[in-house]
Parts: sequence; C-alpha cells; structure tokens
Amino acid sequence: MAIYTRRRLINASVMALAMTATGFGLLWLVLVLWTLLWNGIGAITPALFSQMTPPPGSAGGLLNAIFGSVVMTLIATLIGTPTGILAGTFLAEYSRGSRFGELVRFINDILLSAPSIIVGLFVYELMVVRMGHFSAWAGAVALAIIVVPVVVRTTEDMLNLVPNALREAAAALGSPKWKVIVMVAYRAAIQGMVTGVMLAVARIAGETAPLLFTALNNQFWSTNLNAPMANLPVVIFQFAMSPYADWQVLAWGGALLITITVLFLNIGARALASWSTFKQ
Amino acid sequence: MSPATARQAMPLAPPAASDEHAQSPAHQKVLIRDVDFYYGAFKALKSITLPLHDKRVTAFVGPSGCGKSTLLRVLNRIYELYPGQRAIGEVIVDGENILAPGLDLNLLRARIGMVFQKPTPFPMSIYDNVAFGIRLYERLPNHELDDRVESALRRAALWDEVKDKLRQSGLGLSGGQQQRLCIARAVAVQPEILLLDEPASALDPISTQRIEELIAELKEDYCIAIVTHNMQQAARSSDYTAFMYLGELIEFDETERIFTHPKQKHTEDYITGRFG
Amino acid sequence: MPADIALPRVAAAKSRRGAPGDFIFLHLTFLFALLVLLILGGVIVALIDGALPALRYFGGAFLYTDVWNPVTEKFGALAPIFGTLVTSAIAMVVGIPVAFGVAMFITEICPIWLKRPLATMIELLAAIPSIIYGIWGLFVFAPFVQQYIQPAIIDSLGNVPGIGALFAGPPLGIGVLTAGFILAIMVLPFISSIMRDVFETVPPMLKESAYGLGATRTEVVLQVVLPYTRIGVVGGIMLGLGRALGETMAVTFVIGNAHRISASILQPGTTISAALANEFTEAVGDLYLSSLVALGLILFFITFIVLAFAKLMLLRLQKRAGG
Repeated sequence: MAIYTRRRLINASVMALAMTATGFGLLWLVLVLWTLLWNGIGAITPALFSQMTPPPGSAGGLLNAIFGSVVMTLIATLIGTPTGILAGTFLAEYSRGSRFGELVRFINDILLSAPSIIVGLFVYELMVVRMGHFSAWAGAVALAIIVVPVVVRTTEDMLNLVPNALREAAAALGSPKWKVIVMVAYRAAIQGMVTGVMLAVARIAGETAPLLFTALNNQFWSTNLNAPMANLPVVIFQFAMSPYADWQVLAWGGALLITITVLFLNIGARALASWSTFKQ
Repeated sequence: MSPATARQAMPLAPPAASDEHAQSPAHQKVLIRDVDFYYGAFKALKSITLPLHDKRVTAFVGPSGCGKSTLLRVLNRIYELYPGQRAIGEVIVDGENILAPGLDLNLLRARIGMVFQKPTPFPMSIYDNVAFGIRLYERLPNHELDDRVESALRRAALWDEVKDKLRQSGLGLSGGQQQRLCIARAVAVQPEILLLDEPASALDPISTQRIEELIAELKEDYCIAIVTHNMQQAARSSDYTAFMYLGELIEFDETERIFTHPKQKHTEDYITGRFG
Repeated sequence: MPADIALPRVAAAKSRRGAPGDFIFLHLTFLFALLVLLILGGVIVALIDGALPALRYFGGAFLYTDVWNPVTEKFGALAPIFGTLVTSAIAMVVGIPVAFGVAMFITEICPIWLKRPLATMIELLAAIPSIIYGIWGLFVFAPFVQQYIQPAIIDSLGNVPGIGALFAGPPLGIGVLTAGFILAIMVLPFISSIMRDVFETVPPMLKESAYGLGATRTEVVLQVVLPYTRIGVVGGIMLGLGRALGETMAVTFVIGNAHRISASILQPGTTISAALANEFTEAVGDLYLSSLVALGLILFFITFIVLAFAKLMLLRLQKRAGG
C-alpha cells in the first residue's frame, strides 16, 4: 500500500506542478498585457495620431512613425507574399522528393527562425552600404526577407492539404498543370494561405532589429522611400531607453498600438482558419 | 487461367443481335492490347488485352488489388501525373495508339472524361464547376456557355435541383448531388469516352440507383468503362464485363454470358462469392 | 451526341507542343524557390565579407579575447559570446520545465473545451513582439526584480560558499538573470507548442495500454509519452534555444550592456545581438564596424548549427511517424 500511496502522491504533485506551470505562463501573458494597457492607454489620444515625434522634453505624437511602419509593412508584404507563395508552390507541386526541394525546405525553416538582426545586417551590407544611406526601401526589403519564409511554409502546408483527387479531376478534364494549380489548388487552399499572410504581417509589425540598420529613424514626417523613415519599433526603442518622461509615455503608447495590431491579426488569422475548417 | 487462355476465350467481335434493347450495332471504340503497368518495380497489370465498344458499358470487376482501377487510369494516362508509374503496350482509340510518346495529354484527356470514387467538386460555384472544362478549350459567348452548362446538368439529371442556385458553391450539395455534378462536369466537354471509377461506392443506395439510371441513359452517346466492386451493379448496368485478378484479365465476355455461364472456374468462384 | 464542336478527336490529338503556361509557371516557381537559397547564401557572403577585416586583423584571438575598447580599437568577442550563451542557458533552465508542464497540462490533463483557448493564449506569448517584452522588462519587471527577487536571492544563496559567487553583487534589477528570465518567457511558447504537437502523435492505444495496467497519469507521461517523443522534444528544445540565442530587443533593454564577464548572473553583461543593436549605428571606424559584423557572423554560425540540428531531429521524428 505504501508504494501505491507514494505513486499517487507523486502523481498529484506532478499534476499540480503542470497546472502551476500553465498558470505561470498565463500569468506573464496577463501581466505583460495588463501593464501595457495600464501604461499605454494614457498615451492614446488624438494627438498621438496627428502629431509627429517631438524633440525631447515636449509633447507630440507618433504619426510619422505610424505612417512609416504601415508603408514599410505594406511594401514588405507586397514583395514577400508573391515570392513566398511561388516558392511554396514549387515545393508543394513540383518538387516531390527531389533533393533540391528538400534543401530549399530545410534552408527555409532555418531562415524562419534565424535572428532578425542578422537579416538587418545583411540588408545593411546589401543595400545601405551600396546606396550610401539608410532608406525605407532597405527597411522594407529586410522585413520582406522575414515575411518570405513564413509564407513559404504556410503555402506549402496548405497546398499539401489539398487532396490529390481534386488535382486529378482537373487534369482529367484536360487542364494543363499550371491551371490545375492556379485555378483549383490555390482556390482550395486560399483560406489557409491568407491566414499565413496575416501571421507574417503580424510578425513583421513588431520587428525592430531589422529596421535598426536599414530604415533607421526619422524625427520628421517623410514620404521619401529613399531616405530614413520613422517607424514605431525604432521610435519605441529610442524613446523608452531615454530619460525623458514625455518620450517614455509615447513609447508605451506606441507599444500598445503595435500589440493591439499584432493580437488582432493573430486572433483574426486563427478565427479565419477555424471558420474555414468549420465550413467544410 | 493464363493470359493466353483468357485471350482465346474472349470475343473481340461484337456479338450477334442478342441484345434485349434495340441498340445500334456495337463497334469497337478502344482496343487495349498487351498492356503492362508498373508501379516502380511492381508489375500491376500483365498483358491486358480487351476491347471497349462504343455506346456500350464495359465493367471491370474483381477483388481489391486486381488492377481494375489501374487499368482504367491507363486509358486517360492520368497516371502520368506521378513519377515511377508507367504503362507499356498499346491502347488504340479510333485507330491511334494513345500510349504513344509525343501525344498531347491535355488534349487527350479533354476527349476522355473521368469520374472518381469520391465526389471531387471544385471549390467554386456549380456553374463554374461545369464550365471549367469548357472554358479550358473553347471561347464561347455567355449565352452559349449557359446552354452548354444547362445541357450538361440535364444529362446528369441535376438541372432541376440546382437551376436556382447555379452561383452557389458546389461544396454545398449532398454527396449524391456532388457526384452528379462531377458527371455533368465530365460530359460538359463532350468527350467520346467516359471512365467511371466506382462512381457510386461512396454514395447511399438511393443516390446509387440514380447514378445507375444515369449511366443507362449516358451509354446511348458514350463509350463507357466502369470499375465496380459491386457485382450486382455490374450485372445490372453493363453490357460487357471484364473479370480481373492479380493484374491479369481472367475473362471478358458479354455480361449476360459471364454471369450465367462463366468460362473460367476462377470467374465462377468470384461471381458466386467463393472469394472476394 | 450534342451539337458538334471544332475540337480535335482523340485520333488527332497528336502534337508535340507542351503548354507554354506550364513551362513558364514551372520555371517561375523554381526561380523563387532558388531565391530562398540565394537569400541564405547572400547572408553568409555578406556577413563574411563584412567581418573579414576584423577577423584578419585580430585572428582567432577575436573569439576568446575579453576586451571591447572602441577608443583603442581593440575588440574581442568573448564577453558577448559568453553573455549570449549564459542568457540562453538561463532561458532553457527556466523555460524547458515550464514548457513541459504546459504541454503536459494541455495534452493530458485539461478538459477538452479548455484545450483550444488555452493553447491559443500560450501561443499569444509568442506573438507579442520582442520590443514589448523589452519595454515591459525595463520598466516593470526589472524594478520588481531589483526590489524583491534579487535581495531575496542575495540573502539566501549569496552566502552559500561556492555558488554564492553566482549571486554576488548589488541588486540592480537589470542584468544577465533578468534577461535570461524574460527570454525564458519568450521561448516557452515555442518549445511548448512543439512538445504539444509531438505528444499528440503518440498512438492512443499505447497510452491506453499503460493506463490499462493501472499507471498514473504522471507515469504514463514520463514513462510512455516522453520516451516515445524524445526526438521531437529535443528538436523543440533546440528550436527554442535557437530563438533564445538570436533574441535582440528584449535582451537589449534589460541586460545592461556592459562588455564584461562576471561570475555573478546578477550583474549586467551583453549579448551579441544586444551589442549589435546598441552600437552598430553609433560605430565609427572600419575596424569597429567590422568587429560588430564579425559578432553577427558568429551569432549566425551558432544559431545555424542549433537550428539545423533541431530541424534534423524533427525530420527524423516525422519519418518515424510515417509523415
């Protein structure tokens, strides 16, 4: 009996530990989000969206930073999404078992988890040094390089889920392969692919490191893609690390904005994914 | 039971007017001659030789793994989608060997329709499903396309049920309706030959019956080859039956003859359910 | 037969033309797949190119010299490398058990209706951008650590002979331990998610056989599930490690940015990514810049090996499961 009691005791403690661990993880989520809300909500004023980043010690907003982030995220998505979709299509539709395909998949997964600051360094060497100056283009390219592996992976996974019978049915009607892919397979996988893009955008919306040495920052309003451009993450970095209270408040506000966007995209992507599986 | 014996037992010429229904005289549309098929190194079909007659239904029957689906898939060369699968031999359609290299497979498949075991509606509207094959090769003005879609859906006995919801997704139909949609899709491109791979096996009995009725109507215009593991269905629906076992053609004959007086003992054993 | 159309009959379907669309599409997708390889190749080339001057100048000593003086232009990577490894180690020590507990809870213990929402919430931890952790760490967590945690540690463990040196020094709040802890929170969702996935691959019948013999849940998990999935678990851990090694912004805010190595984890330090983030845009002088790029090259090298190893482990598990 003693052995059994001991086993039950161990079981109970391990269960309790597992529950504690889960609570522990959730605790930090709640803490981070709560303090973010607490500190950042005060900064969410109309001024935040209408004024530019101020010099230290004065009030202002984040308009130029928001604009810069939106523009660079948009360009990065426009560059990275087709690239990722096409590469993912190759992996799913044309590379069955080929060594080349396996290599691309392998490298892609490594790029997926690679430090984003390395990407920033790469684009710095590639573009900033060549062009002689920082630019929003370089920032967008750096973000695009982060988008690509995410979209490649989700595209390939979603296309692999499309049953072969559907492809055969299209081929049996005399459809050339590319039409089978574009007109049937893509349509069947579209919801999953859109989810992938949303997750990729959520990822780059908060990325700071790749922008540090590419787009840098810009105190003023600028629409010049060929010059440094303000963006939320780098502004937050600069303002938060500074000793100025005004700047710190703005930093929290910017952080809250980014987090809301990211969470919205994430939850939206999941909702889309489960809605589509529910529909079928 | 060797391939040679089986071949001797086969009539290659159409039978005398012994049909119950006054059908047009049967002539040979397809001749499958000495076809071998390989999945990698595994030989799945061994020297198959048999004819398919126009405006008739030929059923391929046999236990699981006998190669009947494989044989069907040789006829529109759909196996070419997969590396490592190959067919050797000849399949002569209207005088041309369609297994010859250099043939445009897409054009070939536009002339041979296929319906699969599980309904495979495309993720698009009912109208677009049926129009898909037509749009691949023809540029039609809208009203002509509408007519073709309607006529295909009528042939598939689906028009009345979907005529008010043509723009809705094909995925919203029931299983039986989806399969009839796939049939409509296949006949919309006006093929000459129809290949049906166990078209009713995933359906309920009522839908199955409707499909069988459909096949009886369709055979007036097409050369139909149907794979079925349901022998009663073969007996009901087909004019000719080919019994296959482990990749070989054991016996081929008119359905009536094969089910009442099979020449091979093996065939008799299968038909009477001694093995399955 | 319905009205005839001008389509070639089967007999005439002979032609040597392949669809031009197929040719274009195949090569288009191939090109972009190749691009993925080229990106990685480009990264390697660019890093080596930028790092070469410093590596040539300092030689192999760069890797094990603990000096970082922009004024005299003497640079050595030991402190950043050390910091990177130590913060990641702390992240693993804290993160792995917690991730395992979470994975175990979600897959084996919690009620079905709770699984999805709980899993989603844990995954949201991964969705929060690094900079948010950084700013939270600097303003909220570090002061908290400074006020409560660190004094407690110093009082209790700081006086223990031997390991006391690990916990020496004034409570600053920021430092290696704080950074490592935040890293743990950031990587635990990744590790936990992979663990969950591999735990789900265990055939239910295997677990049922164990339960059928009267095993407790703990015993089933520790003695059946874990051994069955250990390759995947290792892969997941390595993936988490890869992330921890490369994490930049969260660490930069709270590590203190001191190019030095101290025995105590309560002291500030630096990591490769934090050094890069802090100093790159301010660096003057080719040797300084090149040394920073060299740091990046070293980081890339380390994470590449870890991630490649993780991927190989996960591939092996996939093959074994027949996937």
